[in-house]
Amino acid sequence: MLKPMVAVLYRDANDAKLWEEALKGVPGLLPITVEQNVTLSLARLRRAGGSLRLVILSARLYPGHCPDLAARVRAVCPGSELLLVSSSEEPPPALTPLLADRVRHLAFNPPHQARRDREYLPEVVSRLIHRRPWEICSCLREGTTIHSFPLRSSEEKEALIGALEALLAGEGEEYQTLRQKGALLADELLENALYDAPRAPDGSRLFRKGEKRLLLPQERIVLSFGFDGETLALELSDSWGSLEPEVVLEHLARNQEGDPIAGDAGGRGLFIIWRFLDHFHLNVQPGLETVVGGHLQLSSGRDPEVPRGFHITELN
Amino acid sequence: MNSMAATPSNLMPEHDFFALEGTIDAQSEPFFRDLPARVRHPQVRFDFSRAGRINSMGIALLLRCFKDIRQARETEILLEGLSPTNSMLFKMTGVFLLAKPVPAGGNGREGAQ
Repeated sequence: MLKPMVAVLYRDANDAKLWEEALKGVPGLLPITVEQNVTLSLARLRRAGGSLRLVILSARLYPGHCPDLAARVRAVCPGSELLLVSSSEEPPPALTPLLADRVRHLAFNPPHQARRDREYLPEVVSRLIHRRPWEICSCLREGTTIHSFPLRSSEEKEALIGALEALLAGEGEEYQTLRQKGALLADELLENALYDAPRAPDGSRLFRKGEKRLLLPQERIVLSFGFDGETLALELSDSWGSLEPEVVLEHLARNQEGDPIAGDAGGRGLFIIWRFLDHFHLNVQPGLETVVGGHLQLSSGRDPEVPRGFHITELN
Repeated sequence: MNSMAATPSNLMPEHDFFALEGTIDAQSEPFFRDLPARVRHPQVRFDFSRAGRINSMGIALLLRCFKDIRQARETEILLEGLSPTNSMLFKMTGVFLLAKPVPAGGNGREGAQ
């Protein structure tokens, strides 16, 4: 008998039904309906614990209904990754508890699932089970050209953004919006890599926003993008590896839940990247490399107000 | 900011009018720092129809500028000519908490330089 690799904790039968279709086809899935008995559910998890690579938590349970659930699941399945799933038709989960519990993966089930959206959750689950980081080509049609541009100085930024816009040369409002979003995303990604990533040993910034600068001798910044006629994928890698997963989550939480006009919460660029992408990915190898990227659809028309998921992966 | 101009209008004396042009980013800092002092009327309109990309630094500058304008006096700030992308951006970053989007006024605009 196949040992379960993935467990999913639902609040009740209705909750389980909501996710039935989206998780269909995930092999070795152990569904647990918690109802009122968290202790019994955790005992079931513990029994399967050795083989579990991933535990999925429904947002109908956590963080609102069972605030300590993530911590308790971690205690019984210390080797498992946690993924929170939420319906996009319900209020999005608060991010601050996720920050405290180091829940670094959040996915939404879109109400009107296009083909690629239906494939999204099983693909995320597969990646988390196999500890495989996101790659730019994973969301593009096979054979799509990936254009990669190593940066030499900050003055090349506008030329790279222009190259991205040129790739999205179609006519009509959809293309115009995709060009504008793509340009903004490239701008934010490059600004982050040029001015936020470079840090001194004490954590202070090496460069001031907007200043003209050359890359340092050992520094590497590469902007990559591809477009398959429907999906635009972007990726920015830098050789600093200075973006900490908890800091990223903190930026997203503060910008989503804080008062935007009370003061600058910091991390607004990352917040914009997160909200403008359909799916946001961050892979960090501390001290070695940061890769930020994701994709968006030409025809998605998803309002950035609609909640977005994220996948923050620390690679060792 | 690649290029930016703001033209206060003298055709509609009951409000100030600024037509923005070009990218709004870290380079726009001096422009937005000085702008609040140029506001004279209880209503100020900003035309974004010729503005380009606005990045997170540009958003920070706009938020600070609009806060300064409103702190100086009870000034109403109206924004016109927004692209769908910039509207989304303003909504998610709180700019619309300080300034209201309106359809283009159709007059009072002298054009950006």
